[in-house]
Amino acid sequence: MQPRIPELGRFAEPALLILVSLSDGPKHGYAVMADVEAGTGRPLGPGTLYAALARLEERGLIEALPPVDRRRPYRLTAIGETVLAEQLVELSEFAQLGLRRLGRSPG
Amino acid sequence: MTHPLIRIYPARWRARYGDEFAVVLEERPLGPFDVADVLLGALDAHLHLRGHGAASEHQKGFAMSLRIGGYAAIAGGILWLLVLAGNAINNGGDSFSPFLGYAVVGATIATLVALIGLSAFQARSYPVLTWAAFAIPAFGAVVGLFGYALVVITGDSDALLVGGVSPWMISSIGLMTMVLGSSLFALATWQSRSLSRGASALLALGAVLVVFALFGISGSLFPGPFVVIPVLAAIIAFPAGWMALGISALRVTGPAPMRLEGAPS
Repeated sequence: MQPRIPELGRFAEPALLILVSLSDGPKHGYAVMADVEAGTGRPLGPGTLYAALARLEERGLIEALPPVDRRRPYRLTAIGETVLAEQLVELSEFAQLGLRRLGRSPG
Repeated sequence: MTHPLIRIYPARWRARYGDEFAVVLEERPLGPFDVADVLLGALDAHLHLRGHGAASEHQKGFAMSLRIGGYAAIAGGILWLLVLAGNAINNGGDSFSPFLGYAVVGATIATLVALIGLSAFQARSYPVLTWAAFAIPAFGAVVGLFGYALVVITGDSDALLVGGVSPWMISSIGLMTMVLGSSLFALATWQSRSLSRGASALLALGAVLVVFALFGISGSLFPGPFVVIPVLAAIIAFPAGWMALGISALRVTGPAPMRLEGAPS
């Protein structure tokens, strides 16, 4: 199922991973990369990371905080939090549908 | 900003992200995957910056519509409280004070603006559901205002228009449609999860209670002196629902609360 973060095209999936990474508090770019890799087992390249970060910032889903030692942390905005919650609920419902069709109860 | 790979990014991009991007590139040795990813990222940055302004304005438009809708919902809630309370004190009598008339017009306009602003925000995720739920209350509000304008033009003379319909009847049907439609709008908001579900539930309940109270249905359900309970609930719940929805919208446009202690601010 394609995540429905609006108008992000091929950056929709990295954007979703970044939003989830920021959902427990602000992180700078490298911390987001490390967190995503630890959580998914897949690397998130620096070029993809910053392309997605720029788009999320433009759309007001995240915001930059003042830099600390050249590292600039980002955090979710309230709109970003709402959009992320919508995405996760949709993905969860879709996953439950798939599990039911496979005859495997989700819980 | 010394990393050679950064130089292939556009100057505007480097001015904004260059410093922190350099730190990320310096954090670990770059493998072939990383180098290819950065090259594609630079190409994307060159292409993407051309459309940067349009996307930014688009997002600002969403935030602005939500803010306008939020303030209008709060204003509408306050005015509906005055209207419903005033009407109850007046005991639904024929002597409709000019003040209540202005309040009805103000409340209806504010509700219409709130419906437009909040729907524009929610429609980005659920366009069909949102606009379908918007259409009925918005239509009711427009008809209600049209009917009220006829009342003013005809001098509150109870003149019958085509088909034996009076301006008051047009206005009443319009406003009733708007109130009932508010419950549909609230259910769509509940479903979309874009704004507070508690506020949506309160508005849906309040709208139904107002219709019950205005039609006197609650009188048959609650005998004797207890009839005041659903009427009082209607007077409070409907305006409170709109106000809570407005506050919820304004919260969405503000910054998210910090959750981690010691996080940089």
